[in-house]
Order: sequence, then C-alpha cells, then structure tokens
Amino acid sequence: MTLDPRITGAIEYGQDQHIDGMLHARILRSPHAHAIVLSVNTAGVPSDVVTLTRDDVVDLEPLYGPMVKDQPVVAGDRVLHVGDAVAAVAARTPREAEEALELIEVEYEELPGVFDPVEATSDSAPLLHEGLEIPAEYRPDGRNVCHRFRLKSGLGNDGFAGAEVVIEESFAIAGAAHNPMEPHATLAYWEEGRLHLITGTQTPFNTRRDMAALFRIPEEMIRVVVAPMGGSFGAKTFMRLEPITAALARKAQRPVRAVLTRAEEFITVNRHPAQFRIRLGANRDGTFVAKSVDAWWDTGAYADCGPSVCTKGGYAAIGPYRIPNVTVDSRCVYTNLPPAGAFRGYAATQGVWASERMTDLMADRLGIDPLELRLKNLLQDGDRFATGEVMHDVRFAECLRNAADAVEWGEGRKNKGLAVMLKGMQTPSRTGVALEIDAGGHVVLRSATTDMGQRPEIAQRNLAAHALGLSPDLIVVGPNDTDLVPFDTRTTSSRSTFMMSNAIRAAAHDLRQKIAERFEVAPEDLVLSDEGVGVAGSPDLSRPLAELAGVRGDGTFVTPGGLDPDTGQGIASSHWHQAAASAEVNVDAETGVTTITRLHTAVYAGNVVDRAGAELQNEGSTIFGIGSALYEGIVFEAGQVTNGNLSDYEIPSTLDVPDFTYELLEGGEHSHGLGEMAVPVVPAAIGNAVAAAGHPVRNLPMSAESVLG
Amino acid sequence: MKIQVRVNQRPVELQARTDETLLTALRRADFRSVRLTCGIGVCGACTVLIDGEPISSCLVLAPAASGADITTTEGFDEDDPVATAFQEVSAFQCGYCTPGFVLTARALLTENPQPSDDEIRHALAGNLCRCGSYVKIAEAVRLAAESMRS
Amino acid sequence: MEEPDWHAPATVEEAIALKARLGDGATVVAGGTFTGILVANGLIRPQAFIHLARVPGLDRIEIGDELRVGAMVTHRRVERSNEIRESPWACIAECFAQVASPRIRNQATVGGVLCDADYASDPPTLLVALGARVRLKSPSGEREVLVADFIKDHYETALQMDELLVELVVPKPPRLVTYLKFRSRSSEDRPCVGVAVAADLDGDGRCRTLRVVVGAVSGRPQEFPDACALAVGQRMSVDVATEIGRRYAERSSTLSDVRGSAAYRSRLIAVLVRRSLEPLAA
Repeated sequence: MTLDPRITGAIEYGQDQHIDGMLHARILRSPHAHAIVLSVNTAGVPSDVVTLTRDDVVDLEPLYGPMVKDQPVVAGDRVLHVGDAVAAVAARTPREAEEALELIEVEYEELPGVFDPVEATSDSAPLLHEGLEIPAEYRPDGRNVCHRFRLKSGLGNDGFAGAEVVIEESFAIAGAAHNPMEPHATLAYWEEGRLHLITGTQTPFNTRRDMAALFRIPEEMIRVVVAPMGGSFGAKTFMRLEPITAALARKAQRPVRAVLTRAEEFITVNRHPAQFRIRLGANRDGTFVAKSVDAWWDTGAYADCGPSVCTKGGYAAIGPYRIPNVTVDSRCVYTNLPPAGAFRGYAATQGVWASERMTDLMADRLGIDPLELRLKNLLQDGDRFATGEVMHDVRFAECLRNAADAVEWGEGRKNKGLAVMLKGMQTPSRTGVALEIDAGGHVVLRSATTDMGQRPEIAQRNLAAHALGLSPDLIVVGPNDTDLVPFDTRTTSSRSTFMMSNAIRAAAHDLRQKIAERFEVAPEDLVLSDEGVGVAGSPDLSRPLAELAGVRGDGTFVTPGGLDPDTGQGIASSHWHQAAASAEVNVDAETGVTTITRLHTAVYAGNVVDRAGAELQNEGSTIFGIGSALYEGIVFEAGQVTNGNLSDYEIPSTLDVPDFTYELLEGGEHSHGLGEMAVPVVPAAIGNAVAAAGHPVRNLPMSAESVLG
Repeated sequence: MKIQVRVNQRPVELQARTDETLLTALRRADFRSVRLTCGIGVCGACTVLIDGEPISSCLVLAPAASGADITTTEGFDEDDPVATAFQEVSAFQCGYCTPGFVLTARALLTENPQPSDDEIRHALAGNLCRCGSYVKIAEAVRLAAESMRS
Repeated sequence: MEEPDWHAPATVEEAIALKARLGDGATVVAGGTFTGILVANGLIRPQAFIHLARVPGLDRIEIGDELRVGAMVTHRRVERSNEIRESPWACIAECFAQVASPRIRNQATVGGVLCDADYASDPPTLLVALGARVRLKSPSGEREVLVADFIKDHYETALQMDELLVELVVPKPPRLVTYLKFRSRSSEDRPCVGVAVAADLDGDGRCRTLRVVVGAVSGRPQEFPDACALAVGQRMSVDVATEIGRRYAERSSTLSDVRGSAAYRSRLIAVLVRRSLEPLAA
C-alpha cells in the first residue's frame, strides 16, 4: 500500500520550504499595547544581518489590509498592540536572527490603551487610527469604529410594540487562538523584478492583489505558490508574513523565510472577542415578532477582515427564523488588542451562541418546549430572511429534528440543549477551474483551492472524474501556483466544495466542447472513457486521451450578491450553511465541571463527494466546537496575552471528546461545505444543556468556575 | 557538538549546540517528520521513540540523547501495520501531528497488543490534533491491533 | 553566542564538586523536561550543564522498612514498578502515573519534580502527606530534609548551591492513602487542586491518624493538623468530613491562575477535602 506522505512525514509544509542560501527572518515586536515609537536604532546589529525598519519601506504604500488599509509593514510612528512589528531582521540562522533582535534599540513613549470594544466607542477612549481612509463600502460610524453593519426589516424596533413578551440579555464571547499545529510560514524571493512567495495561505489571489498594491507593482509581477498547511482554521489568510518577508528579501537580495514561534501565534491574528445585547419579542403562543441585535466585535489594532466578520456575525445572530421586525447594529471596533480576523466558524460561533441562548431564554419565559419554539419559527422554503432574500433548499427543521431525536428529546429534556443555525457563505465570489489533458493522457485539474488539511484534491478528482465520465486515477491536481491556476476568491467560508463542484462541471462541459471541435462532431456524440475519446457510432474515430494533449476546458462559477451596509438588505449568501446540534451534559454542581454525555450534530451536506473527508471535517469541527465551548479563551491583561502557550491555553485532547454522533443530511444536487458547520452549533447546544441543568450561562468559554457562578 | 545516535536502526551523527534540542538536531539531519508546535512537551508533534518509548524531542537537550536508539516514521516501511491502518482509515487531515500519533500507537501496541478502547484513549491523550482526527485515529489503532494479531 | 559547556560526571562526588564549583552558572539536568523548556524557550542561558545520566546509583528502587527511590528514577518506572505496586507504597505509583503524559513520565525524574518545586504538581502533595524525606549530598556530607520543608515555595527549595538530591525516602504509609487530582479544564491539564489523604483506622473504623494535604493551590503544599485532629478518635462522618473541608478552605492560602481564581480554589478545597474523606466513613 502506498502511504500518504502525511503518514510518513514526507510532506513538506510552508515551514519546510527551502532555497539554498536563504536567510531566516525574525520580527522585533512591541512590548507595549499602545505607544509612540520615538526611535529605532539598528546600529548594534552585525553587518551580515539584514535589518528592516520603516526607512526601508518608504517607497511602498504606507498601509495594507484586505478590507481597510490600516496596517504598516513595520510600525511608523506608533505601535498599536503588544506584538506589533517594529522592525525585522534576516540572518543566516534562526539563532543569529534571534540574537540580532536583541541588539536593536527602540525607545517608546507609552500611551493609554483601550482593550474593550464597547469602551473603545466612548468619547474618552484613545483614538487609534486618526485620519484613516476607509473605503466607501464601509460605515465607520463611531469612535474607533471601522465598520458598522446595520439591518432593518419590517418595523425594526417599533415592532416590539406588537410583542406580548419582550426579554433582553447580554452575552460575551472571549477571543480564541486558532493554534494550527504548524505555525505561519512564508518564503519570499525576488527574481528579475518578480516577487515569488511560497507561503502557507488560504488566500493566494487576495495575497497577490494586496501585495501588488502594497509594493506598487502589477499583479503579474507577483507569483504566489501555496504550500500545504499544517492546519490553518482561518489564521493563514490575507497578508500575514508576506509583506515583511518580501521587504526583507528585497533588501537582502536573497530569499528570506519567516516561521512564527508559538508565542507569536497568539499575537498575530485571533478570533474576534464579541459582546452582544439582544432583545427578543414574541407572542405567548411562541411566534417571534421582533428581534434587535446590538453587537461589538473587537477587531484589535488592525481591521483585517473585521468588517466582513461583523456583518456576518450580525446576521448570524438573527438565526434561521421568521421574524417580521429585525434590527441589527453590529460594530467592528478597533482596540489595542492583537488583530482579529478569519476564524473557523467565522462570526457564526459568536452570533449563534448569543442567538440560541436567547431562544432558550424565551422558551423558558414562555414555558414552551425549546424544540417546539424553534420549529414554530424556523424558516421554510419560500420565506424571506431578514435580509429580504428568499430562502430555498431549506433544511433547518430537518437538521433540528434529527438532532433532537439523537438525544431522545421526546423522552425528557433534563440536562439537554439544542441549537440550530444558518451561516453565510462568502458572497459574492468567483471560482475558476481548468481541466487540461496532458501528454500522458491525464486530465490535469487546475484550481486555486488550498489544502489546510481538508485535502481538496480528493473531492476535486472525484468531481472531475464524475463530470467527465473518467476514473479519478486519471485526474491529476496541478500545483497551486497563481501563474498556473485560474482565479478563485479564496479557500474560506466552507465555500470551496460547493463552488468547485459547479466550476468543475462548467470546465468539464467546456472541455467536451473543445474536444468535440477537434473531432468536428457535436459534444453529445462524444464518448469519453478511460480508454480515450470516441465518437458514438464511429469506432474508427477513437483516439487515446494522450493524443489530445493541450486541449483545455475552462469553467467559472460566480455567485453574485452582497448586502447594503445601511439596511442589511440584499443577498447575504448565495447558498446557506445549515446545521443543528444537540447535547446532554452532566454538571457537577459543586465544582462547575461540565461533562458532555451526549453530543450530536446534523449537518446539511448535500451531495457528498469525499466520504472520509466529509466525516473528518465534521468530526474535526465538532471537536473544535467543544474547545470553544469549554476551554478556549485568550486571557488579556492590559493588552498582554497571559496564556499564550499550549499548557495555559488548552485545546481538546482525545479524553475531552465524548463518543459523539452525527448525521450528514444528503441529497440535492449541490455539494455543501463541511469545514465549519459544527463549530457554531456545538457550543450553543452545550450551553443550552448547561442552562437546562440549572446553570444559566451567558458567556463563552463555559469554564468550570463561570458555570459554578 | 557531534552527537552519535542511531535513528531507525542506522548510525547517524547529529550536529547540535549543547543548548539545542534533539528536535532541532533531528530536523537539521532532515528528519522532518519530527515537528515543533508547542515547544513545551504537551502536544506530541515532536514525538520520537527512544528505546521504543515515546519522548518529546523538544524537551531533550541534544547531548543528552547521545547513544540513543531513536525511531521516527521515516523508518516505517510500506507494510507497517500501524501506518497502513492510518492509511486505510484515513486517520489524518493536515498530517502535521500524524507521525507523533503513529509512533505513540506503535509504542502502545508493542507494550499492549490488545488494548481496550479506554486504554487506547489514555495512550493517545497526550498527543494533540487541532484538525480533530481523534475518532479515526482511535479506529486506526484498533485496526492496527487487529491486523497485528492475525 | 558561546554554547554552554556540557558536563557528564561519572560519580556523585564529581557531580557535587562540579555543582559547588560552577555555582549558579550551571544547570543540573536530570530527566531534562523542565530544563528543556527553559532552555529551548530562551528563559535561561546557563554557562554549563551538569547531566546526571552517567552517575551510577541514582536509579535504584529499594523496598524495606522504607521506600527508597533514586533521584534519577523516571516517573514511568515508578508508575510501572510491580515492586512498588504490590507493596504498601502502591499509592506512590498511582500518583506518579497521573502526572502529565506518558512522554513526560518517560523522561521526568523523581528528583527533578522535587527540585523544580513547581506548584502545579502532583507528587509533592502526596509525598508531604506520607512524611517523605529527601536525601541531599554535598562535599561536606549529607542530610535528610522532609519534603514538606524541602519545598519552600513555587520554584524554591532548600537545596543549597553545593548539594545534590540523590534519593527520596518514604516511610511506610498508613493503610488508607488516596490522592485526588482535580482538573478544572482539559483532561490533560495540570492540577487545579490536589488533595492527599493518609489515614489509619482502628478495628472499629475510628481514625487513629489522619493527614490531609492540599496542593497546587499555592506556592507549596499545605496541611492543618489541628483541623485533622477533629477526626482522630472517632469514626469519620459526612459532618466531620465537611467541617475539616471547611476549615481547610478557610485557612488555605490560594492563588489565581488559568485553572481558576483564588476564590474558586477555596470553594473547591472545601468540596474536595470533604469528598476525599467521605470514603473513610464507609
């Protein structure tokens, strides 16, 4: 049996990429959360070590960012978070680089910092990005607010007047650290004016575009080669190490590789801490009448993709319910914490927690079974969501019933909890795929979908094989190199399988078309098989695939949409992720320790094209959710991370995971992404179970101490 | 400093400073299956077997490993029952933690050829997998135990 | 920067002499788990290492009137020792088995865990309850110190600059010994609270002796003999167990860390001491 290189350890991740003569980079970071940088003196650094300070990047754009350009390559006048890059070095060995850092002298003048997103919007909070240019599509309404997503449907808040019962509650969700097992890693080199980045990234084309803007060169002058990642979960998105390594490589005129330490992983990009204030109005019979969601997302010192997180989290907190009058006011706020960005579950973890705990609070208030209350209000096919879009292919109720049955909800609901969610998928977005026959008679699939552990090549090969009528063994996935692959928005949001399946179908169709042209027949008359290409009714016209080398089909799939930032109306998601979870717990009332005795997720998977992969993704998401539910929260003290290692910040181990079950709801023509679905519903279901056990929880994580109260 | 060890039954001379770890020394010698994640011995990505016992190579100062008999997954052949079980069950996602789990499983099954589900869980508990492949990893260990019995 | 010197002494005397000569510029490496973390993460930069692996005689396990365990014996050897498990000292094997993970236990030593004196540890709590001692050797001779006195605070021991810990000595335990490791988070977590109970009951189930030690809540293990005295001479009951727990909670100094706040620990002490004593009522 051929062993996968991941088993033998032969696979080369971002951190293993190597070019002879490359230098090793290390970053000098601010120890202060907010300070003026008075001076940076690199005179003490040995001459054979390359240094990078703001003087070395004056010819670049001053700031970069995937949505708001607010981040410098290295700090200019100010540092805005503990860990902010102040300077960098590249040396022959990592040790020499580390030693060189200690020889750089920096003078700071400390400034007061702000570490809470609600506080940051108050008049007395320090202003963190004065005079920043914010693109027209965002709404920087408020002090330190870089974007504010608002939604109003029906009568908005006036709708509460029509509700017989109104309740209000606050929720808080701690920041979390992705903690991929492999840290961030990037290798950069320049060759004849072209920048080559060999990097662990989920977003090759975003990176190419944004680096081109930063370095003021055409996109064609940048090549991004995606290295397989030892996990990412959203951490390795947009520009991370690429600007600094590229700038160092440019100065050094040699390749430069940067690999982060585990401590640095906690101050580079994290999950948004969030606070919610939710009001829910219903009639006594359980019909939802009005809901208002106020949210504050702590995006830290730099916005990264915060504007999109605050939008998605804003509508995720509405929930998959029919509510005629909805108001959302979701703020993405700058503070002096490390930046927050994409994180598995993408704002739904926070939004679904708040929303589903609220649903149970209403159930308690009304004296209605939490399952019945949800079923009564769940969106159905043809209903409009609060954004105005019409829902189709709706399976919320099915997911929820499946989850409820799994814990025998009908037998009694003591110590049990449910949750159901809708999560958006990046919209608008575009995916291109090419299928090209090579001289060996294989079909080479070219796609920018990145591998962070979900091994997309399996699904890709199965999809292409199915679309072409060939065996998957004939499909080869080509290298993920922006010089070779068509544009794809990015591998995030659990969008790839869905988007690729459509793009591959289109590419296959185009390939058949092109082959048919070669044969001068109609595409319907072509017979494609592992033996080659034939024409129906003309056996003498058969040719082996190899003779068609170079023939290539291209396919693109686009999902249009987007939301008006002021009204929240439009298309939030071309395709919705739908899932539910149920949990049963045992809470030790004297210690607050929660033991999960049953856990089930029901996820709408659609057409499953990689069975083992689907299972692994859902199992992995479930386990990830357990971590968010019970253990994970970054502890900040005046902007310092105080638990930045894997002993103080714990992720689930085998013994923390109960025997859990799940159902992948199949059917329909589409393949749905499974990379994240269980992540938001698991903590919410566990939280509702803990509350049902007599411990009304409002915040994540549900540490033993917080449950005890 | 030059440190003489055996890796996968072959003599290897490692190069390392006295204050470098066995992990650093092994990776320098191109044993890339051994990896750094936590750097404090809790995650198991740096697991090697020394005399058949799992050890966190990130905690061993290189000179202390002098004379050690080290096993890494580079030494596993294609028929290895533990490795093939992982392959069959697809007991991995990104693969970064996988060699550590494979070695831990090998050590478990050498000491205890018929582990109960509970014993398997306890043996695997010290290896972290952020992708969350624990369910299939435990399956792989059961499958390996079965195939080693027959 | 220059790399530290690596010394691998071949005798205890050589090791002690080196330690005395090099002073605090040298770091002793036993199993190396703690040293490994400190060095690899740049927290210490010693001028020299003194590795004890070649020193003979530090890896003995001897059972007689007392249990003697050499400083270089690994946690794993203690855990797996049939000799210990079949002896009155079986509780020691069970306690060492609970430390960290198999990898750590394969490497970390009995001497190391005591010299590190990390507050979030399991063995010291039980060893204090059993009246264990450490044997220390120096150029001028040797002395024995109770573990309770040896561990002064987090990362602080009574070990002198010219001393080496060579052996752990544990008197014969009373018949009923338990160690409870309470974790507030993951199953892989360090202890949030550790409770060791060592008791002797007479023929009628009355407590003859009782020691309760609470660990991992403060810089060093703590015990309150006068609180335990409540139980002596009578049968344990839920009421007595509860009262002892309450007194321990009131009097134990507690700290806050990622595993719980000081106040949380105080609450837990009352509960966990009671839970540890309740089985004695049966």
